[in-house]
Amino acid sequence: MLLQVEKLNKAFGGLKAVNNVDFSIQSGEIVGLIGPNGSGKTTTLNLLTGFLKPDSGSIMFDGKEIAGSPRCSMCGNGIARTFQLVKPFLNLTAVQNVMIGRTFGKEATMNLKLAEEDSFSILEKVGLRSRAYVLAKDMTLMQRKRLELARALAAKPKLLLLDELMAGLNHAEADEAMETIREIRASGITILIVEHIVKAIMGLSDRIIVLNMGEKVAEGTAQEIMYDPRVIDVYLGKSHA
Amino acid sequence: MKKNLSFVIALVVTAALAAVPLFVKKDSLLTYLCMILLYVSLASSWNILGGYTGQVNLGHSAFFGLGAIATRLLWFAGWNILLAMLVGGLLAIAFALLIGSPAFKLRGAYFTIGTLALGQILYATVGNLFPQISSMPVQDLISYTLVTRYYLFLAVALITVLAATLVANSRWGLGMMAVREQEDAAESLGVNAFQHKLLALVLSAFLAGLAGGAFAFFQIGYYPQYPFSPIWTLDSTMMAYIGGTGTILGPIIGAIFFVVLKEVLSLNLAEFHPTVFGILFILVVLFLPGGFMGLWKRIKDKQQKKRESMAELSHP
Repeated sequence: MLLQVEKLNKAFGGLKAVNNVDFSIQSGEIVGLIGPNGSGKTTTLNLLTGFLKPDSGSIMFDGKEIAGSPRCSMCGNGIARTFQLVKPFLNLTAVQNVMIGRTFGKEATMNLKLAEEDSFSILEKVGLRSRAYVLAKDMTLMQRKRLELARALAAKPKLLLLDELMAGLNHAEADEAMETIREIRASGITILIVEHIVKAIMGLSDRIIVLNMGEKVAEGTAQEIMYDPRVIDVYLGKSHA
Repeated sequence: MKKNLSFVIALVVTAALAAVPLFVKKDSLLTYLCMILLYVSLASSWNILGGYTGQVNLGHSAFFGLGAIATRLLWFAGWNILLAMLVGGLLAIAFALLIGSPAFKLRGAYFTIGTLALGQILYATVGNLFPQISSMPVQDLISYTLVTRYYLFLAVALITVLAATLVANSRWGLGMMAVREQEDAAESLGVNAFQHKLLALVLSAFLAGLAGGAFAFFQIGYYPQYPFSPIWTLDSTMMAYIGGTGTILGPIIGAIFFVVLKEVLSLNLAEFHPTVFGILFILVVLFLPGGFMGLWKRIKDKQQKKRESMAELSHP
């Protein structure tokens, strides 16, 4: 088991954003995390990456308890993420953006020359090789998303958390992104995706976890989830279940 | 290739600056060059934290002042000037470490206001503790030579620019720029933002402290409070912005431009020159983001694009 989350809790004032959530992820899986707006998906991601401290609960990752660890240590533990609203280093070039992942992430190198070479090949992987010297602020949304992915990959994670990577992309772009995600998995990286695009999440995930109002409602394969009355209830209301 | 060229240019400029006292015999001109070198040190050291790391520090004069006061006292007590300066720099580091933790709890504009307040507190405190003017003892006045001061300012400026260059091109520099651009993303990639800010602050403080030491060795008489004055901070901040923050050359160009313009203005406009600088600063922030260096880069980019489109036209 790569990731084991037990009885995870986080409240904002009186609102229980994540309420006693348990789930686990095995090495090599692609797991989808879905749920309506405000169901606790991004909060869960933020708890896993140290951006928020859990009120209680345990997060075992790779045999180590990481709940509440500082966020800058998560990458060293082997967890990298992308952000729902992309956060590129705007005034740095694409290759500099990626080099930061390579020089500070897991298996970080102190050798900038080596980091630069590696960064070029990672940019190649996400299709940005020709844009290596372009500033991130001069890139399109699609390119920025790819850049953010490249940056996270450069940090050599075991687990990659993708927060709505495909939001705002058109059909062709989303298809390309799905292909890239499959390639990343094939390279041995475990992936947790939060996504609203049904086609993407159904097509990619080995297993899907459904959250609603901070609680886990269901878990299973895409087929199981689609016909689960509890899930239909969450999305469409009781009468449809 | 490009790196080698910059290295050669830097060497030539250094050699030329080192040779200046052989040719320049006029004290007024040499003093003038001393001021430029001092401001290069101050603006470049400010730039490490303010430009590369994105933490706009309006209390920079505190480090300059601490370096000056420690150096002055120790030097008058009979210490070797270089040793006294080193202690001045270390005192600035000690203060940086003391304020670093609480100050970096603040982000953005709040950090800036906090450092401004710290600088002002120190300015007022030193004024109360040392109300007497500090004058050089007679034996030092007799042996006073401007050329020694010039070389000391030159050495501090060189050390500062060299240190800034080395840091900016290192892994630490990458981390600092990541923190400046997007702190959350930087931390998610393993950059410890606090560590990087603190390192930038410590380095910036030490170099400003050295500059303060050189000033204490140079200035014949002044109130000990004077180097703590916010004017030093504001001047160096403006220079960095006018020349271009987050670049090595920016603060240097800014310092030269600023000192020359100040001289011209104070000759012609007397008391109005701060007003002119205020307006100039606003204009740069509004219309010239990135300062002179930013402008230079935009011009180069445009030429590059033109060349590319020309190439496309000729080879369709």
